[in-house]
Amino acid sequence: MNRIGRPAAAVAALAALALLGSGCSSKSEDASAGTGSDGVKTGRGVTEKTVQLSALTDLTGPYATLGKSIVQAQKLWADEFNKAGGVCGREVRIEVKDHGYDVQKAVSAYAEVSPDTLAMPQVIGSPMVAALLDEVEGDKILTFPQAWSADLLGKDAVQVLGTTYDLDMIRAVDFLTREQGVKKGDTIGHVYFDGDYGANALEGTRHAAQKAGLKVVPKKIKATDTDLSAQVTALRGEKVDAILISAGPTQTASLVGVAAAQGLQVPVVTSAPGYAPQLMDTPAAPALEKTLHVVSAIPELGSDLDGVRKMVKAYQKRFPGELVDSGVLSGYNAAVLLGQDLEAACEAKDLTREGLIKAHRDRAAGDAGLGAPQDFTDASQPASLSAYIHRPDKAALGGTVLVEDARKAPGAQEYLDSAGE
Amino acid sequence: MSTAFDILLNGVALGSVYALVALGFVIIFKASGVMNFAHGSLLLLGGYLTAVLHERLGFYAALALAVLATALVAGAVDLILLRRLDPHATHVLTILTIGVDIALMTDLTRRIGGDLLSLGDPWGGSVSTFGGSTVPHTRIASIVVSLLVIGAVFAAFRFTAWGLSLRAAAEDREAAALMGIRLHRIRTLAWCLAGALAALAAVFLVAFPAPGLERTTGEIALKAFPAAILGGMTSPPGALLGSLLIGVTEALVAGYEAELSALGGGFGDVAPYAVMLLVLLARPNGLLGEKEAIRV
Repeated sequence: MNRIGRPAAAVAALAALALLGSGCSSKSEDASAGTGSDGVKTGRGVTEKTVQLSALTDLTGPYATLGKSIVQAQKLWADEFNKAGGVCGREVRIEVKDHGYDVQKAVSAYAEVSPDTLAMPQVIGSPMVAALLDEVEGDKILTFPQAWSADLLGKDAVQVLGTTYDLDMIRAVDFLTREQGVKKGDTIGHVYFDGDYGANALEGTRHAAQKAGLKVVPKKIKATDTDLSAQVTALRGEKVDAILISAGPTQTASLVGVAAAQGLQVPVVTSAPGYAPQLMDTPAAPALEKTLHVVSAIPELGSDLDGVRKMVKAYQKRFPGELVDSGVLSGYNAAVLLGQDLEAACEAKDLTREGLIKAHRDRAAGDAGLGAPQDFTDASQPASLSAYIHRPDKAALGGTVLVEDARKAPGAQEYLDSAGE
Repeated sequence: MSTAFDILLNGVALGSVYALVALGFVIIFKASGVMNFAHGSLLLLGGYLTAVLHERLGFYAALALAVLATALVAGAVDLILLRRLDPHATHVLTILTIGVDIALMTDLTRRIGGDLLSLGDPWGGSVSTFGGSTVPHTRIASIVVSLLVIGAVFAAFRFTAWGLSLRAAAEDREAAALMGIRLHRIRTLAWCLAGALAALAAVFLVAFPAPGLERTTGEIALKAFPAAILGGMTSPPGALLGSLLIGVTEALVAGYEAELSALGGGFGDVAPYAVMLLVLLARPNGLLGEKEAIRV
């Protein structure tokens, strides 16, 4: 049976490969390249009337809440942008594709939309971004991932916004030593997800801890670990003076709740992906308010920054009753920055993919009016070194309030320099 | 010292919840020879129903309803899908449960989305302190409830007509049928019982030290797989023993990760399987599994 089956299967596989190959080669021919009647150079994704953008998001998987917030925020931006005249007389359109946090689906969705896409204001998920990294770079599609691993740096077409996970942890250690009484010789625990998110964060912790004379006790967990009793017990055994956590909101809630129950009263710091306002409805809420701090590259939603206030008001008007979380701000921020890139490219009369990337990489102080300005000129460096410190607050919009304004962690630049050597 | 005690207690509590799940695997396997891959989604269904009903009905009524509903759904899987097929083709039936799992899981995932649902259990985050160790009340409740329920199931095996029939059916299906045992009914009841146990387990899997029910909760149920296998798939006491072993192993490895760092980080993920392999090397039929006598 098998002997007959195998050659047939091989022939079928070869035929499929041949088909795929021909599909690829026809894709790379650029039929739409040219110069429009208005003298603007255009390429794929741009017609006389429209500029096509695409979003690869998660509307049905673990980050469905985040995905929805970002999609709606960017829809809001597109409406405002088009109402103000669009770019070079063209309307922007965003094609939203749901991958449900599945790498295979993300790759297929990318293959479907990429031939007619100028830029991607959103790609959710480190594994999805990692899988598409080389393709995006090869296709020169300017992309703003919703992932902050330093591994994503160094690609001209990929722009990680704000700080990377390692810088967040350097900022966290700085905050702990300055404000939370952690001192030389102390021990800090770092609970982290297996994968590039956790690994990159731990790198930052190790660097900062070494500079501050702290001992690090790492605890690796995975996404299905939702009860961190064993980890907390172990950290208590190590007599830690503070805990960092680079995981999901569920894990943060368990860690803080268990620590409080076991009488381990130490400060806990996470970065933005480790917190969600929904945690304030769990039994861990009082403990979270007491011990948790969140490092974030973007301001809190209750910020009195003009841009943030306007955006929140417009969002609530457009999507009444919907949750306003940090995803809204982060998605809107990416879209506004992309809008500025589009305008700059239009000014230079070059709306091709290459023209857009060039316009983007020429900006040393990209400012959406939504927090610290960002430097896009060096693709190998994080766009910003400054981050805020927030703390959970049940009553606040977005579930957090400001503790410390955006600032550069001392040692962050030195860390980047040493990593570059 | 208190650290070791905490770790051990964690392990036993975890093991007692795994036992509820593993017992479900074993009961279904005994009754129908099917490895139920839909168990994780049944567990998620039970937890989800408790979560959405508790605000209206109160925790206990919601739990009772969820347990009942999950039992009915599990029974329906057997009644509607499996009964029509050849009961001897157990591998086909097993694969069919994967299909059931995907269908159930997809719908529940869509409903739960990114939410973190509280089940509204009465213990909340309360704890007691014993000689320097803090013990969450959910832990005590999970151990007590599991002991009671597992005891009741064992008693049912031993003393009820259904239990006797089930054991007879597991021993030799044809002979049991010839003796007038209604295999279909035994099987459907076994599925119902397994569903009920899964719904109950959901409460303790997502209660306090864990923050609540989310879409991935069902995957945790799969940790009870090695427990059921290493206990010997056909033995309920074996499942209990295996579950405790897996629970304690997991807690010990996570608790002493630093000391075990020579084995590589994240050893806790593979430890249950490593234990399973070691046990199966020494006892191929599991701890308390029956030796299969095959005459040629």
